[in-house]
Amino acid sequence: MAGLSGILLASLLILSCFAETSFGVVHFSSLKQTLTVTASPKPGQVLKAGDDKFTVTWGLNNSFPAGTDSAYKTIKLRLCYAPVSQVERAWRKTEDELSKDKTCQFNIVTKPYSASKQSFEWVVERDVPLGTYFVRAYAYNAANAEVAFGQTTDAGKTTNLFDIIAITGRHASLDIASVCFSAFSVVALIGFFWAEKRKGKSSK
Amino acid sequence: MADRTTEGLGEPGSSMHGVTGREQSFAFSVASPMVPTDTTAKFDLPVDSEHKAKVFKLFSMANPHMRTFHLSWISFFTCFVSTFAAAPLVPIIRDNLNLTKVDIGNAGVASVSGSIFSRLVMGAVCDLLGPRYGCAFLIMLSAPTVFCMSFVSSAGGYTAVRFMIGFSLATFVSCQYWMSTMFNSKIIGLVNGTAAGWGNMGGGATQLLMPVVYEVIRKAGATPFTAWRIAFFIPGWLHIIMGILVLTLGQDLPDGNLGALQKKGDVAKDKFSKVLWYAITNYRTWIFVLLYGYSMGVELSTDNVIAEYFYDRFNLKLHTAGIIAASFGMANLLARPFGGWASDVAARHFGMRGRLWTLWILQTMGGAFCIWLGRANTLPLAVFSMILFSIGAQAACGATFGIIPFVSRRSLGIISGLTGAGGNFGSGLTQLVFFSTSRFSTATGLSLMGVMICACTLPVTLVHFPQWGSMFFPPSKDIVKSTEESYYEAEWTEEEKSKNLHQNSIKFAENSRSERGRRVASAPTPPNVTPSHGHV
Repeated sequence: MAGLSGILLASLLILSCFAETSFGVVHFSSLKQTLTVTASPKPGQVLKAGDDKFTVTWGLNNSFPAGTDSAYKTIKLRLCYAPVSQVERAWRKTEDELSKDKTCQFNIVTKPYSASKQSFEWVVERDVPLGTYFVRAYAYNAANAEVAFGQTTDAGKTTNLFDIIAITGRHASLDIASVCFSAFSVVALIGFFWAEKRKGKSSK
Repeated sequence: MADRTTEGLGEPGSSMHGVTGREQSFAFSVASPMVPTDTTAKFDLPVDSEHKAKVFKLFSMANPHMRTFHLSWISFFTCFVSTFAAAPLVPIIRDNLNLTKVDIGNAGVASVSGSIFSRLVMGAVCDLLGPRYGCAFLIMLSAPTVFCMSFVSSAGGYTAVRFMIGFSLATFVSCQYWMSTMFNSKIIGLVNGTAAGWGNMGGGATQLLMPVVYEVIRKAGATPFTAWRIAFFIPGWLHIIMGILVLTLGQDLPDGNLGALQKKGDVAKDKFSKVLWYAITNYRTWIFVLLYGYSMGVELSTDNVIAEYFYDRFNLKLHTAGIIAASFGMANLLARPFGGWASDVAARHFGMRGRLWTLWILQTMGGAFCIWLGRANTLPLAVFSMILFSIGAQAACGATFGIIPFVSRRSLGIISGLTGAGGNFGSGLTQLVFFSTSRFSTATGLSLMGVMICACTLPVTLVHFPQWGSMFFPPSKDIVKSTEESYYEAEWTEEEKSKNLHQNSIKFAENSRSERGRRVASAPTPPNVTPSHGHV
């Protein structure tokens, strides 16, 4: 009987700790940096979107006490903009409230959490724009709220950054089609004009 | 005796007659014997002696009159679609081309600036080649500029292409000109007003069309940075299709003869320099140029920024932001005619003073709702305030052209043209000042734009007509100055009056007595004017 009420109390206490997170308003400043993340690109290395790949490795930082990761259920790795790519671009702004934060807009991989070090090789996707980036990992609990993070760069987001060059989106076939339709438009117009002028002259 | 229907072809500014939408009557048809019907003509609609239609049958495609109406407004609509096609796709384009906020703003300014000049040239082109070729030339020569989007790879290129596409907005002039050759001047007001409003809807339709086309192309397998380029082929094809339809199905005149149009140009023309002089020396012209910049101008600016605003601020999907943005532009279907109607109702009771108050109220309320839109933090509130803002601004556009016909009779065309240009200029200015900087957010930009709307609407209090008064002052007590005739005759020199060149202005002055409101019955016959023997 006492044991049962003890368990009830404990779960109430634990649940109340998650009360804030389960309401969905998680702040980045409230997250603990308990994960270590490394990415294979060297600082300043340039990668091509669609072609190049790199490897990310992540795991728990062992300097933290055991049991820190008891709540972690999934890990999401994301590609994030460095401050230099956020200048004059309010749609990439960093906000403390994670639901409003636009720093990390590209998903690299989502994996269930495991205590040992994991890695993943990712081909840079073709919709990644030109910019300077770092990699961040978020740990999620069972309620799918962020509880911890780790990143390849320092707190000021100045070290270990790499560049990505985007695809242009242009294609030779598109260019050719564009020229063809444009030429058709101009030629059709001139043709009509000339034909009507000729008909006008011949009917006089 | 000059028939009012023959006036105008070839005269400076005549292409703008009727663009106001409020000239004299808001009628769907003109009854005989007001304008006699030509019974020998074999057209689907009753026509006058020049074979211009006397009836506006909206859901007919009868050749040539109604067919011209539909070809004309759809061409104008198409040009609005292509000019604002980039706006809902900016979230994708800005990543592809690595644009900053300044780049996006500059491109928006460029998109509305080109037509300030092309509209002026278009009038001359219509006079030279006729409105059918004017429209077809512009729409088919601007098709390559739309296809050029597939080549764009930098901010500079993007801005340049949007500038060139913006030239196509001059189809407004060919649209209005073409219809003035097809419809009797007594109903041309409604016809041109409808065409202008429906054409403007293109700015809304494109916010719906482009994201949908983009999504379809993406689902078909293209990457985002290629899909948006392919999406631009749709407006490009629309240009070509409409151009061909205009060339094959359209005709310049009811009788189909381009040569006759040029013969009619021998009608005594007014001197362009004089017409221009009386336009620019009338202070009211400039007040309305400013005001239109803050009704039509802010409408165009909002067309350019609103989809991106909703996408970023409320984290919506691209096509959801597009639907919301579309409802802004599509409100033109009813809001603009509503403004004109409200102006007419106010005039019936309070005359010109009522029209001025109506304009001020509508435009200031539009400004207030724009302030609210920038401050709204939740999606439902933002959408609600946006819709109210659109109604205010677009109704103000309609109400503006309820007053313009009365500012001048001789220079109506040029004043209408200047006002239209003021709209584009206002749009370029607001985009430059409020939406091209990172110093404040787009939300703040919208609120500040609302404040500027309210401030720039205040000059309407200064518009005073000696014969009708102003918002705060009654008409002049002077027995001569308080007549409509003295106001409109002031635009002619004594020499011109001795040659009787001012007859149309006299007739107009008589007809404009309705702007006294309920006092019309008590208006005294002014000295030196013989009472008219019935209206035309």
